Amino acid sequence: MIQMLITGLICGALLGFVMQRGRFCLTGGFRDMFIAKDNRMFYALLIAICVQSIGVFTLIQLGIIDFTAGNFAWLGVIFGSFVFGIGIVLAGGCATGTWYRAGEGLLGSWIALFAYMVMAAVMKTGVLAPLNTEISSITLPENSIAATFGISNWIFIIALLLITGGLVYRELRKPKIAIPSLKPKRTGLSHLLFEKRWHPFVTAILVGLIALLAWPLSAATGRMFGLGITTPSANILQYLVIGDAAFINWGVFLVLGIFIGSFIAAKGSKEFRFRMPDKKTGINSFIGGLLMGFGASLAGGCSIGNGLVMTSMMTWQGWIGLLFIILGTWTAAYFVYVRPQKRRASQSTTSQQAV
Amino acid sequence: MQKTLEVMGQVCPFPLVEAKSAIESIQSGDELIIQFDCTQATESLPRWAAEAGHQVTNYEQLGDAAWTITIQKK
Repeated sequence: MIQMLITGLICGALLGFVMQRGRFCLTGGFRDMFIAKDNRMFYALLIAICVQSIGVFTLIQLGIIDFTAGNFAWLGVIFGSFVFGIGIVLAGGCATGTWYRAGEGLLGSWIALFAYMVMAAVMKTGVLAPLNTEISSITLPENSIAATFGISNWIFIIALLLITGGLVYRELRKPKIAIPSLKPKRTGLSHLLFEKRWHPFVTAILVGLIALLAWPLSAATGRMFGLGITTPSANILQYLVIGDAAFINWGVFLVLGIFIGSFIAAKGSKEFRFRMPDKKTGINSFIGGLLMGFGASLAGGCSIGNGLVMTSMMTWQGWIGLLFIILGTWTAAYFVYVRPQKRRASQSTTSQQAV
Repeated sequence: MQKTLEVMGQVCPFPLVEAKSAIESIQSGDELIIQFDCTQATESLPRWAAEAGHQVTNYEQLGDAAWTITIQKK
């Protein structure tokens, strides 16, 4: 229990700190692929996947950890991921993003987080559990991509490395423009940790390393998985209302650690303040949180569980889940940002014509 | 001429969306002052200004999680 508490909190705090300082926002990243034609965060995610993949498969090879991909609940993954993608745009951050923004003092994220926990618990042990089980029972036998093709995982890892390397190289070769930044007020380590703008690719390497570290730490407490957000978030609520200590696991301390780490990062860099959302943002956060809890439970993972961890395990669940999360964010981004702007633009042209 | 855009309390990406539409309404050489408290915008606003070729004439932190940036339209 003590070990679980300490390693879980530390791993979570590292992740929360790195994500807050590195502005590692997957929701924003997926959204910007569509509204700003900017793929930098997606490439950053690929880097984190590569780092974790090489590390975890090495650990598996060495017999330190053990992983079975199981079967592929394709319907739940596709439908759930798409709903989750819509939810994170409304909530203004993915599951992890919501945890770390809650640590920055954004009360809208507290609302989203609460709705997300409730809905995840409703789907896992509540009234919607039968529906969840029903949809998740529609499966294909093979979840491992390598097993489907009957070849080694390493071939896919090398292919992913080459593709990511090529994309990153192309991105870094683009002519640099000087981006104005705040005048530095600190020096040395304090500047590096609490002030400097981190390059997303550096942040991504750190996120990948933390995701890798999560495996042996979690496995040592009997939980054979890496980073996971949705189940632990539901577990907190389940534990609080049912009182059964069986709901407490390494993941619970991990998510609490994210909150603490992000709070330390935000406080240290003078970026913490309780901020109340307006009515519309508050409602969107609540609805977004519900959709996130529903979608992630159905898909068996969020943008971290499926998008970062199951992808690096080279599973169909990971990559197809990631694809549909992205499609969900694009769909929601169209209705939330693109269409209102088009309307505004067409209204102003008609009023000009009238003059 | 200066125009002030108050987007305190708005979460990412709305400060950027609002800034993009506000800069349309001012003349070249005029300044847009944006007051914001969304952490992610500390990255996205100056980046957008630089990429769009506008000049950032002032950028500072006002207090805990509150910033101001002044962008001169190109």
